[in-house]
Amino acid sequence: MSSVTDRALGPPPVWRRLIGRQETAAFICLVALLVFFSLTADNFFSTRNFTNVLGQASLTLIAGIGCAVVFISGEVDISIGSLLATVALPLIVIMNDTNSLLLGVAGAMAVGLAVGVINGFLSAYLGINSLIVTLGMMFTLRGGVYLYTGQRAIADDAGLDSFIALSDGRLFDVLPYSAVIAIILLGVFVYVLRFRRFGRQIYAVGGNREVARLAGYDVRRVKFTCFVISSLLATCSGIILAARVGSAQHIAGLNFEFQVVAATVLGGVSLSGGIGSLGGMTLGVLILQFLSNGLRGLSLPTEWQLVITGAIIIAAVALDELKRRRAHGD
Amino acid sequence: MTEILRTGASGRTSFASLTGSGQLVLGVLLVALCLGISAAAPQFYSEANIIAILRQCALVLIVASGMTMLIIAAEVDLSVGASLAFVGCVGMAVLNATDSLALGLVSALAFAGAVGLVNGIVVTLLRVNSLIGTIGTMMMLQGGVYLFTREAVQNHHQLASFTALGAGYWGPLPIPVIFAVAIFALCAVTLRFTTIGRYLYAVGANERAVRLSGIRSARLKLAAFVVTGLCVGVAGLILASLMNAGQPTAGRGFELTVIAAVILGGTSLTGGSGSLFGTLLGVLVLKVIDNGIIILGWNQDLQMVVPGIIIILASYFDLLRSRHHA
Amino acid sequence: MALITKLLMASAAIIIATSAQAANMPKKIGYVTNYATHEWYQNVIKGMKAHAKELGIEVEVQDANLDIAKQVSAAEDFIAKGVDVLILTPVNEEGVVPLLRRAKAAKIPVVLEGNPVKGMTTLVAICDYDTGYFAGVEAGKYAKQKLAGVAKVMNVGLPLLSATVLRSKGFMDGIRTEIPSATLVHDLDGGGNPDRALEVSAAALAKNADINIIYGINDSSALGGLQAWKAAGKSQDNLLTVGTGGEGLAFINAIEKEPSYRIEAAMFPEKEGFTTIDAAVKVFNGEPVPEHIVSPTAPIIGDSWKTYYSYDGTTRSIKWDAVNALKPPAKCMETSADLKK
Repeated sequence: MSSVTDRALGPPPVWRRLIGRQETAAFICLVALLVFFSLTADNFFSTRNFTNVLGQASLTLIAGIGCAVVFISGEVDISIGSLLATVALPLIVIMNDTNSLLLGVAGAMAVGLAVGVINGFLSAYLGINSLIVTLGMMFTLRGGVYLYTGQRAIADDAGLDSFIALSDGRLFDVLPYSAVIAIILLGVFVYVLRFRRFGRQIYAVGGNREVARLAGYDVRRVKFTCFVISSLLATCSGIILAARVGSAQHIAGLNFEFQVVAATVLGGVSLSGGIGSLGGMTLGVLILQFLSNGLRGLSLPTEWQLVITGAIIIAAVALDELKRRRAHGD
Repeated sequence: MTEILRTGASGRTSFASLTGSGQLVLGVLLVALCLGISAAAPQFYSEANIIAILRQCALVLIVASGMTMLIIAAEVDLSVGASLAFVGCVGMAVLNATDSLALGLVSALAFAGAVGLVNGIVVTLLRVNSLIGTIGTMMMLQGGVYLFTREAVQNHHQLASFTALGAGYWGPLPIPVIFAVAIFALCAVTLRFTTIGRYLYAVGANERAVRLSGIRSARLKLAAFVVTGLCVGVAGLILASLMNAGQPTAGRGFELTVIAAVILGGTSLTGGSGSLFGTLLGVLVLKVIDNGIIILGWNQDLQMVVPGIIIILASYFDLLRSRHHA
Repeated sequence: MALITKLLMASAAIIIATSAQAANMPKKIGYVTNYATHEWYQNVIKGMKAHAKELGIEVEVQDANLDIAKQVSAAEDFIAKGVDVLILTPVNEEGVVPLLRRAKAAKIPVVLEGNPVKGMTTLVAICDYDTGYFAGVEAGKYAKQKLAGVAKVMNVGLPLLSATVLRSKGFMDGIRTEIPSATLVHDLDGGGNPDRALEVSAAALAKNADINIIYGINDSSALGGLQAWKAAGKSQDNLLTVGTGGEGLAFINAIEKEPSYRIEAAMFPEKEGFTTIDAAVKVFNGEPVPEHIVSPTAPIIGDSWKTYYSYDGTTRSIKWDAVNALKPPAKCMETSADLKK
């Protein structure tokens, strides 16, 4: 709609195009945060701190790709937090048994795939509301983890170097491997969403189901695939988290889905489908990660961290909405 | 693949015609649960246990009554758990300061109503998606309650009337149950028999159409948020009375129980359909399961697994029913 | 004369020793706690900061807020910042193993608080089993005197943590030294928080109210159990409630106002914080430290809480002399390692 008017009026000036972009608000917010904390918090502005934050952000970033994909397809997946705890079980148990990272990862991926298939089948093919499906899945998985572990963490006894490297290792001694993995995955999915047919299908399905159907897309299969992608990516996050905490934690990922959903929406990905980009989601993740890192640097107590984070989430989404309404002249 | 789906579909229709109504399914499930648990453990239907279940249901039902209206209007409030804890602390602090039950009640309601109002403003005026907006207010309330008090607010006033709020009886019925029934009835009548109720359904079903027809949908939603807030106010005070203290740590995960009960009761998360009677059944089913697992001496971790599966199954049956009608 | 010279030399040596020690104080200690908004940890932090201030050390506190991933991130921040000593209260024992590895790589000594971790240098913690045990012994004595020698216990527990499992086990073992026939009627998961404890206890009491002792693994659990008892309309005449922790004002209030709340297994969080700072100074200087430095606990019966605390109506203050006089055992009777057997 807005693009039509733009074209009618001739090419818009560069600044207009920039401000019109969804991600601009998030980008300005991120830069403002970085400047603010660099001036106020000690040790904030350093390579070490920035690369640390990227390592910490990798969990949310990887799961955030899946979350954004599911959102764009017009669905939601809030089972990812419980999935984080679930996939760590086969990973650690198999590694302890076989001393093989590969087999452990394969086990974790198999479980993640199964959960994605179930979520996708119930939501896309049976047509049950995905919020309900994944809410039920969230309870079921968490309860299942508690039952299986007897509410104890399972330690990584294998101590494989390759597994430890996932937590401690850094590429060229600078960038944590977890961040490297996140950046690679991000690159792959940005390419898929922008340049592949499947990417266009996801936007079409989430934007307008009827139109997508008329265009000959298999709406169910697209949505189903999005759920599987989301679960598999959350599994990657789960594996990295397991490495960071050296164990399978029954309490891992509690409230993780809230963080990911908040970051994704903050980055301008719409819950109603069809709108948003992975670049925006990445900005949303970085804003929340640098915010929490910076607030820690200021030594603010938890209560203030909570209050400020909550307020910033509301303000950022509200600003984004305001901008969108202006753009649409609503 | 399509063939499998088709045969599956025909099987479904015949089954759905048997069930007829989503609430009937829940009702049958509830009766089956009660009979099953009673058969395995006769203590289940003792007077003491029934009262314990009802009292636990009361807290959830009070908040779920407001939440049902909100979800029917296609919004949701995730901050109710955090607000529940905060309200208890505020109410107890005012009671300690004033020794007056009335002032304590008023302040708790005012606080909770204000929280609802803020949520409503964030959603209607700032147009923030309620799922995200109320995560934001949830975090602010969680932080805020610790700024308000670092310790549990103890009962220094020792008002008998306050203790009665949670633990008292009116005839054979616990007082929280009376509150729950009254609030439930009020909300049910509003939804079913008043213009406001019909508008709430309409706003949830198609907000744009409703706005075009001249109804102020934002005000309706705002009202639904405030009503939910007020319900939290009542529940928070009852909980504080039951615990004999304002606990800043209370209410963790409460929002999920409430929302689970509402959607289990057949209210659609996309808005526009649902009923309070369904919510009542949803609350009862969840709490009977919770209680039954303890009475049967089963592993308490099942208290998460069983509701999770039941929520998915119930919404599936509900979907079958609606497809059958369509 | 020779004696005087010796004395002088000795005191000079002491002065040199203390000044040398003062020169070797860590400048900055980073503490990542697991749940700073909880009263227990607030009082641990209070004790830490008070003692650190005496020694001229800066303590910076970060809160994991029960999130293991956040704990790792916060500790990572501290390591990047280069604190002199890192103190950790693990959200989970297994989950901080990588942190110890990384701190070691960065040559930052670590002190654990609360729970032991594989590969640690030293841990400051109470003995959970012993705490429950001695409260159990006192409960047994009380039941002999006032409850006709009968002990039917409802344990409002928390299976999530080995520490809380040990407390419950210790309590039952302790009570059986006095009353061998003591039975555990209900063994509940109260989630460690008051509303869940209330709900679970209400259901359990409805199933079987034939109990006369409520044991809670913390004060919230004990009070949740007691409130369920009261809500069921029962009198506290033949009931004994035993709480654990004494972390905040709740237990003082309960002892003063609830007739059945007679015993508290007090764990003195302020003292635990105090001891942790001492341990941090020692590991900073490379002094030998035991693997487990025990922080004392003691059962408090009725009004005797006033021995250890004063209360001015809004805050409580610890009486250091009384608490420092408590002699902790060198070793715990049972630890989490025994649970795994």
